[in-house]
Amino acid sequence: MSSMLFIMRKTLKNHIKEVFKKPVLLIGYLFIVLFVITMFIASFAMPSGLVRHGSNVLYTGIITIVFIFMYYTTLKLGIEKGSTYFRMADVNLTFTAPIKPNNILLYGFIKQLGGTLIFLFVALCQIPNLKNNFDMKPYGTWMILLATVFYALSYPLISMIMYSWVAKKSGRKKILKRALDTLALLTAGLVLLSLFRTRNVVGTIDNVFNNPIARYFPVIGWTSSIANASVKGFTTEFWVGIFGMMFLILATVIGLYRANLDYYEDVLEGTEFFEAARKAKREGKNLTFGLKVRDSVKQKLSGTGASALFFKHLLELRKTSYVLFFDRSSVSVIIAAIMFRLAMPKGVQEISLSMVLFFALYMLLLLQMQGRLGTELEKHYVFLIPASPYQKLFFATLAEHIKNLFDGIFLFMMSGILFKAQLINVLGCIIAYTLSGAVYTYSDILTRRLFGRIHSKGLLLFVKVLVNILIIIPGGVAAVIVMMITENELFMICALAGWSFVLAVTLFMFSAGILNNLETAS
Amino acid sequence: MLKVKNLTKRYDKILAVNKVSFEINSGEIGVLIGPNGAGKSTTIKSIAGLLRFDGEITIDGKPNKSIEAKRVFGYVPETPALYESLSVWDHLEFIARAYGLQDWTGTAETLLARFDMDDKKNKVGKDLSKGMQQKVSICCALLIKPRMVMFDEPMIGLDPKAIKELKEMFFELKNSGCAVLISTHILDSIADVWDKALIMNKGEIVFNSTRDEMASKGESLEHVFFSKTEGEEEAQ
Repeated sequence: MSSMLFIMRKTLKNHIKEVFKKPVLLIGYLFIVLFVITMFIASFAMPSGLVRHGSNVLYTGIITIVFIFMYYTTLKLGIEKGSTYFRMADVNLTFTAPIKPNNILLYGFIKQLGGTLIFLFVALCQIPNLKNNFDMKPYGTWMILLATVFYALSYPLISMIMYSWVAKKSGRKKILKRALDTLALLTAGLVLLSLFRTRNVVGTIDNVFNNPIARYFPVIGWTSSIANASVKGFTTEFWVGIFGMMFLILATVIGLYRANLDYYEDVLEGTEFFEAARKAKREGKNLTFGLKVRDSVKQKLSGTGASALFFKHLLELRKTSYVLFFDRSSVSVIIAAIMFRLAMPKGVQEISLSMVLFFALYMLLLLQMQGRLGTELEKHYVFLIPASPYQKLFFATLAEHIKNLFDGIFLFMMSGILFKAQLINVLGCIIAYTLSGAVYTYSDILTRRLFGRIHSKGLLLFVKVLVNILIIIPGGVAAVIVMMITENELFMICALAGWSFVLAVTLFMFSAGILNNLETAS
Repeated sequence: MLKVKNLTKRYDKILAVNKVSFEINSGEIGVLIGPNGAGKSTTIKSIAGLLRFDGEITIDGKPNKSIEAKRVFGYVPETPALYESLSVWDHLEFIARAYGLQDWTGTAETLLARFDMDDKKNKVGKDLSKGMQQKVSICCALLIKPRMVMFDEPMIGLDPKAIKELKEMFFELKNSGCAVLISTHILDSIADVWDKALIMNKGEIVFNSTRDEMASKGESLEHVFFSKTEGEEEAQ
């Protein structure tokens, strides 16, 4: 075990040393630390229920749905690829060394404890929003963080056990995946049935997620109950959750530690997948990573010169989308934006569409930061095409604009019907959404041109988000002022669209130079 | 030293390796050659104890997954992967600790010097090129002074000087009584080093012969390779 501890000790020490050697990296980390501290203080210090006093039923419903989604997606991926605590270096150097597999597993588990920090950070970012809308107990923040830790520790263990079981016999994978899907469909069915009967969102959540079966359901129910203590207090379900999760994690670790283990093959595929995902993330391609490519899509490539890029992107988009351009990011933006509006108080009916628009733009900002052009810039083809940089940039980004237009039409038509908005406002939102998408696309390219040499891709991503927020804020502020003066939602949308148009054109002019040569892009 | 008996490996419905049997003796260099997808890497990974398999693999008379067997074999994987934040020297120190080596620093210094890595001791994994990572990977495998060592496509990414050095090392290992197994699909890279050739195709060993046996029959490795993997016409 001492050799494993040596790796952990040295890794930490060398990483700290490296940060102090590179000022840009140090500044980046300081920014992140400052941000985390601010979020931490805000999460604990801010009072609860500032915006409204949302019901506990809605709170527990949201928490349970989030954990169902997280467990469902991670466990399904775990069954498919095997979950892993390890890196390829571990596979190549420790798995073949004369060390007991059980000790290596323990080392992996200790490493995972460090990994929970990322989950805690994500959870921490959500707490101010939750506190604004719900009456949380003084210790509420701790309960959410505790539940997050339990989630982060339990899912790789459960995944590993599940994968070990399915790997032993063909056919088991299908059985387990179907069982998970059935459970998910059953839950969705229950929600729809209850919604149909009650025609009330809160009532439905109360029926489906606030009954004893859901609250005491192993793992998902237990984890949710721990988080729910932040509004409900230390109820029986909380204690069942705490002891249930502790028992589960301890029993699995001890079981795995004592067992005659032969798990190397189980984690090998997962580790390879994880390494590829990590590489994609470093290159800013995690949005497109792991997408299934539909071979059934047939489309002839056309266009000449720079326009060939456009038709290639169209084909790529269609191959990785569910239908036409409707893909994972479309679903995320549409569902999140509409849910956001539904969760808002009822007294803002007249600006429903703008609320959907603003939240959709926030989501798009996070998603489009990992856009398709980044992948194009990693390769040499775009630089070699005999056309002007302006032509190439235009055609290389056109498919992205069309996708945004397509998503915008779908999102705002749905929202328009749902919130009974005027058609002209719907059209305004579609245009504003598409133009703002163009701003994100071109600012992403300009940031690459200006800060492309920043060592860390994560830090570059952080800079990109910051730049985008800074340039879009004046448009947002102008839009709000217009709204206050005219009290007309359409004018507000037009103000935002106008600002986005000016920005998009300006950014386009300045960013075209990135396609001069490979050096300006890296 | 290395005995593989009826090794079979199946991934779901795909039979990757089918009843493969061979032996590599002490002081012998065996080459496992075959086209892409022949099952070479699966065989090597099974021997290294990374995969579950049917059949029997022993190293120095011990089951390959036992701690005793692991103490005596080295493994150079197809794709080198190092700890990003660990320096070259840290990697060697880790290996020394994991294998319980004593007085290893002299050997480590020599190995690094032979691969021109002695001035890069303090460089961390993520700052090394692929070729340099491969060199560290080889140094780690050889630091333990193995009695059996496996190389999976060892020449890829190496510069000409390192390739020359590695070939010399193959002979030194052989002369010290170590059993060496090299997996590759580039015949030229191992033309002058092998004692025993194992040709794999579609998961099976289709040819197993020593250099002396082939020489007595007047066969060339390249000809046999193409005749066994592509058919006699292609070999012509």
